[in-house]
Amino acid sequence: MTSTITNVQVANSTCSNYSKDRKVGEGTYAVVYLGKQLSTDRRTAIKEIKTGLFKDGLDMSALREVKYLQEMKHENVIELIDVFSASNSLNLVLEYLPCDLEMLIKEQSIIFKPSDIKSWILMTLRGVHHCHRNFILHRDLKPNNLLISPSGQLKLADFGLARSLGNPGEDLTSNVVTRWYRAPELLFGARHYTEAIDIWAVGIIFAELMLRTPYLPGKDDVDQLDVTFRALGTPTEQNWPNVSSLPLYNSLRVYPPPSRQELRNRFSAATEKALDLIIQMTQLDPNMRCASTEALLHDYFLEMPRATDPSELPQMPSKKKSEKNEPPQKKVKV
Amino acid sequence: MLEGKVDKPLSNNTDGNHNTNMSLDGRVKDMCPICKTDKYLSPNMNFLINPECYHKICESCVDRIFSLGPAPCPYPGCGKILRQNKFKKQVFEDLGIEKEIDIRKRVSAIYNKTQEDFENLQDYNKYLENIEDIVFNLNNGINVEETQAALNKYEQEHKLEILEKNMRESQKNADLGKYREAMALLKQEKLSIQKQMEIEDQEYQAQQKQELLNKLSNSDNNNSEDIIAQANLNMIKRSSLRKRQLQQINSQLDQKYHLDSSGGKKKSSDKSKTPFTPFNGDRDLIKAYKFLPAVAENEPAVSDSKAETYYDPFVNKLALDKQYLGAGWRQQYIFKKALDEAFLGIGCFIEKEKS
Repeated sequence: MTSTITNVQVANSTCSNYSKDRKVGEGTYAVVYLGKQLSTDRRTAIKEIKTGLFKDGLDMSALREVKYLQEMKHENVIELIDVFSASNSLNLVLEYLPCDLEMLIKEQSIIFKPSDIKSWILMTLRGVHHCHRNFILHRDLKPNNLLISPSGQLKLADFGLARSLGNPGEDLTSNVVTRWYRAPELLFGARHYTEAIDIWAVGIIFAELMLRTPYLPGKDDVDQLDVTFRALGTPTEQNWPNVSSLPLYNSLRVYPPPSRQELRNRFSAATEKALDLIIQMTQLDPNMRCASTEALLHDYFLEMPRATDPSELPQMPSKKKSEKNEPPQKKVKV
Repeated sequence: MLEGKVDKPLSNNTDGNHNTNMSLDGRVKDMCPICKTDKYLSPNMNFLINPECYHKICESCVDRIFSLGPAPCPYPGCGKILRQNKFKKQVFEDLGIEKEIDIRKRVSAIYNKTQEDFENLQDYNKYLENIEDIVFNLNNGINVEETQAALNKYEQEHKLEILEKNMRESQKNADLGKYREAMALLKQEKLSIQKQMEIEDQEYQAQQKQELLNKLSNSDNNNSEDIIAQANLNMIKRSSLRKRQLQQINSQLDQKYHLDSSGGKKKSSDKSKTPFTPFNGDRDLIKAYKFLPAVAENEPAVSDSKAETYYDPFVNKLALDKQYLGAGWRQQYIFKKALDEAFLGIGCFIEKEKS
């Protein structure tokens, strides 16, 4: 009990250290403000968790976010600067990252060079590697959650679904990861999955960076299975031992696995090594999928156009415009 | 109709751009407006366009209408006279871009100077600006006739220059072609030399064997071992000699063809002097422990785990559950994690971390 009291005191003192300037966005359980750390003048994002909304106290994801971000400090993982509570709300002070990968993918005016894609994937994998070596599953990797700092560094964010790797015998929920990036074992309702689900998501993001459009856009959970296997073949006991024991496995339509030539046509801009890495990361059998360490050691990253330096990666153009011509303030919609 | 869309194999439009939201709009786009043939029903059909008016017509229509000679465009209200040999495949989805590229190609065939033809950058930029003006005018229909006339006039006046420039450019391209040819030739030559050497080797070996047999049959028994040893020694000597020879020949060939191309290659390798570090120097290479599998003898060896497992009745039992295995779970991970976590703090100094 005593410890909680002291915590509150500390929190109150840190509360005055930050200012909330402007509302940037609102989610189901939190409001995000643009703020400033008064002592250092550093720009931050402040995530105010709505309390009282839920009868049973704080939202789970807020707790998860605090729990795991506190533990991790890495160049490619968003930094949790501080946590404080004020007027009945929990506030997470996070690094301010104005851009995300989804915005870049959708911005038609930007052209991705092969080296840019390599750099983003490299940074994503480094972040994922750091999570995995600390036995933390991110469970919600998607371009929208890969934020880009002004210096071009890519950082994993939104640890609202993260959790540590289960203890043996413990069930994990299979209803995680945004649908398009969900690994096949999750689609089959597996409850004892591994880090491989994050690698799958990275593989799909890799493909999306190449195509500039979502790779496996399923309309609903059933359609997701169909889309996934149409693209990568339907798993069988031969290429994925024990798959038929998974809860939701019932032989759907059987699609043949794509030949290498088909994949090559699909990713016409990919080099042989890039294709190789995509194939390794999107293996249907989670046990065949490469781990983050293997992915980082892949020849693709050694191959010639080397990964672009983060500072030279493409950035959102709208920002420059709004700086140049002051008047149009409408650009900031949210 | 809707079902048909879902069933459409992915390979039909593998780039994935269209298959996600193929609406009615897409359907109209994939139909020939002249004969109303649908791309969906006859997937082999192709569209062609003519740079006169850029109207899309399917291949069979082009064959039908224009095979007897020039005819007016069948689009209502167009009526431009088109020729069959001018029809081509559409490269870009956006016809506006297609058109601009065509104009650019045409203009740059006439305005074909490069930077080396100018004394200073300013003049060259002026020249490029001029080209852009012409392209813009032609593309957007501003003073088309005047611009076209100016273009023609320029072409007339500079005919010789243009030709000369073309010659020079083609020479450059030919150089590249020659280089490629040389490389192919080099490869071939290497292969043939290698093959020849192999054949020679084989012959030599056979000959040696024969000689050895002859010697053995002619000599007395106690000498035979010596003779065999001698022969073996000779063989080894010879094979190492051959290897050296092969290397020498290879390097000679390389030198012969690479003399002029090596300069360019060095530059590109200089750029990336700093070695690439996949983990950005942040990787735990040395494990604090060694994994010594110790499965109890009486326990049946569990499924596919050959190594890296300990005796643990609870975990070992889980490893037999197909649901666990199907999801990618392996008991080795559990042991590894437990050990990793146990040793995680070692080598971490709080004082250092804090600062």
